[in-house]
Amino acid sequence: MDTQSIKQDYRKHRKAIIVAVSGLLYAGGWTLGYVSAFDTASAAILILAAIVGGYDIAKTAYHEVKSRTLGIKTLVTLAAVGAIAIGSYWEAAAVVFLFALGSYLEGRTMRKTRNALEELLEMTPDTATVRRDGEQKEVPAREVEDGEIVIVKPGEKIPVDGDVVDGESAVNQAPVTGESAPVHKADGDEVYAGTVNQEGALEVRTTGAGSDTTLQRIIQRVEEAQEAQSPTESLIDRFAKYYTPGVLALSIGAYAVTQNAILSLTLLVIGCPGALVIGPPVSIVSAIGNAARSGVLMKGGEHLERAGKIDLVAFDKTGTLTKGETTVADVAGFDAEASDVLELAAIAEKKSEHHLGDAILEAAQDRPAAVTDGGTEAVQADAESAPTEARSVPDPDDFDVVAGKGVIAHQGGREIVVGNRSLLDERDIEIPGEVAEYVREREERGETVVHIVRDGVVIGAIAMRDELREAAPGVVQELQDAGIETVMLTGDNGRVAAAVAEEVGIDDYRAELLPEDKQAVIEEFRDDGHVVAMVGDGINDAPSLATADVGIAMGAAGTDTAIETADMALMADDLERIPYAVKLSKATRWNIYENVGLAVLTVTLLLAGVLTSYVTLALGMLVHEASVLAVIGNGMRLLRY
Amino acid sequence: MSETTQFRVMDFDCPSCASTVERALSNQDGVEDVEVHYSTGRVEIDYDDSVADPDTFEQTIENQGYSPQPA
Repeated sequence: MDTQSIKQDYRKHRKAIIVAVSGLLYAGGWTLGYVSAFDTASAAILILAAIVGGYDIAKTAYHEVKSRTLGIKTLVTLAAVGAIAIGSYWEAAAVVFLFALGSYLEGRTMRKTRNALEELLEMTPDTATVRRDGEQKEVPAREVEDGEIVIVKPGEKIPVDGDVVDGESAVNQAPVTGESAPVHKADGDEVYAGTVNQEGALEVRTTGAGSDTTLQRIIQRVEEAQEAQSPTESLIDRFAKYYTPGVLALSIGAYAVTQNAILSLTLLVIGCPGALVIGPPVSIVSAIGNAARSGVLMKGGEHLERAGKIDLVAFDKTGTLTKGETTVADVAGFDAEASDVLELAAIAEKKSEHHLGDAILEAAQDRPAAVTDGGTEAVQADAESAPTEARSVPDPDDFDVVAGKGVIAHQGGREIVVGNRSLLDERDIEIPGEVAEYVREREERGETVVHIVRDGVVIGAIAMRDELREAAPGVVQELQDAGIETVMLTGDNGRVAAAVAEEVGIDDYRAELLPEDKQAVIEEFRDDGHVVAMVGDGINDAPSLATADVGIAMGAAGTDTAIETADMALMADDLERIPYAVKLSKATRWNIYENVGLAVLTVTLLLAGVLTSYVTLALGMLVHEASVLAVIGNGMRLLRY
Repeated sequence: MSETTQFRVMDFDCPSCASTVERALSNQDGVEDVEVHYSTGRVEIDYDDSVADPDTFEQTIENQGYSPQPA
């Protein structure tokens, strides 16, 4: 071993070595103290222990004083110097050693908390194989330009964000979404840096590299979140500003009254606000770090503390409780062919870009020329029996979207209205009894039905179904078990909403809501005194997410807007993370309270102990340091929540 | 020109230690803005590179008793 590496090792373990040496000297000095003949030697060794252990502390204290801050290290240094001055060498050495040991352990455990993100940082590979000038070249990943083609072999980590241009594979996206089930990726699909290509070779056209990747943005956001102060933290910080000088004043006052130097030094030591100021940040950093690893981005301590009080969760129905993949379940023609009904509806909806319109258009294109029956005899829309060729649907001459109600279009001299009951009522279109009967029957199954009107006459209806997410009932149940009220918000009519609400087992629902109504409903819940979380997709629901106390956006990995607006963003499109996120927030809030409570209790007991002379300087320091470590340990439980 | 540099200090052992480091760094010539975060250990320094000497930042942090790593 050369001197260089010894030096390096020493620097790395300096704090541990200092603590160990100081501890050994302290133990030696203490033992010698029992033999009266060695009193002087014992004193010398104890002073040496205090100097070895206290050198760094005193150095920092010097800088604290120089920069006019009154920190814990200044108090400890004062206490140690004071103890030596009055001949209490054993006390001086004990205080210094215990403080150094405590700080060392604190530093080590805090490092663990801070490193929760390190696993994420290590996800991105350093190099990427790019195709340049027709050759494959290995280059540093951060130097890959946008638009360059990166080749990712099976088993490799993807080094950049981009779109698949060639190849097909299963990709484990856990680092970004927290979801470890592999996702199938083929031509045109988006892939993220740091995710693992498991099966086949992929060629990816780069859209972001280096610090401009989704994973890097997540890490940056998580750090910002961890650094943002929670209300409790700022409160304690403000309190600590007056507290520390207060302790100093108390100690001086105690000396003035009692002339007992040891007593006033002990007050200095036990009065340090250690556990109190450390508690909340440790809890919050641990919780946010844990959430990030599970694919849940939390915006910061403030949001986390508020989320801990959630007592009502409102879900958007479409795309949140349901899969958001609406398909045509049934087409009925009344005095018209079902295929004509579908065709007309498709024409009207062709440009509407509404999810119901998309479902109709898809069904019309998949459908063979005609398999039809008039009247109430319905034809099942079945993708399996679709023809090989997609049918083309003519463009409408013009069309108008009536938000939340439907579409009015013209084509080839005909007027086509596709819409719900309220649109038909608005336009004074009479709904025949058999149509109304059909609509009610389908709606009671939880299907959304639109009427198809040609030149003012209802000729048919189309029933559409959006399958429930398998996880939805379980998630609702889990929230209810945690004592949280659940509500579903939907634009659908009451019958559909009631059917879906029953299927999910949700407590309550609000139906026929226009987008701005959802926001108003959230407002209403808040006015009733609820702390409301709103779960939605982050784009259409942005206003209600912003209005809620806690906005939770799902499937946020690809959408920066969702990450920006939401207080919590679930990177994966996974409903099951919601009970986890809500419970973690609650656990964090309790954890903060436990830590503050423990800290206050410790200081109060110690104070009482000192004033009644039960607590000595060394014992005070021991309990103080133990309380700091207990608080850190308690906060770190959230890392494994 | 205004520049920004970052360090990581993993061994802060109390929140007030972070503020001491913050104050010490702000007192240096040419330093415009300093943020020291106890919870993540991140130190961010904005400085005027015609006045400040970034090499001294690391030394300043070490003087306070902590070990910075460039980030």
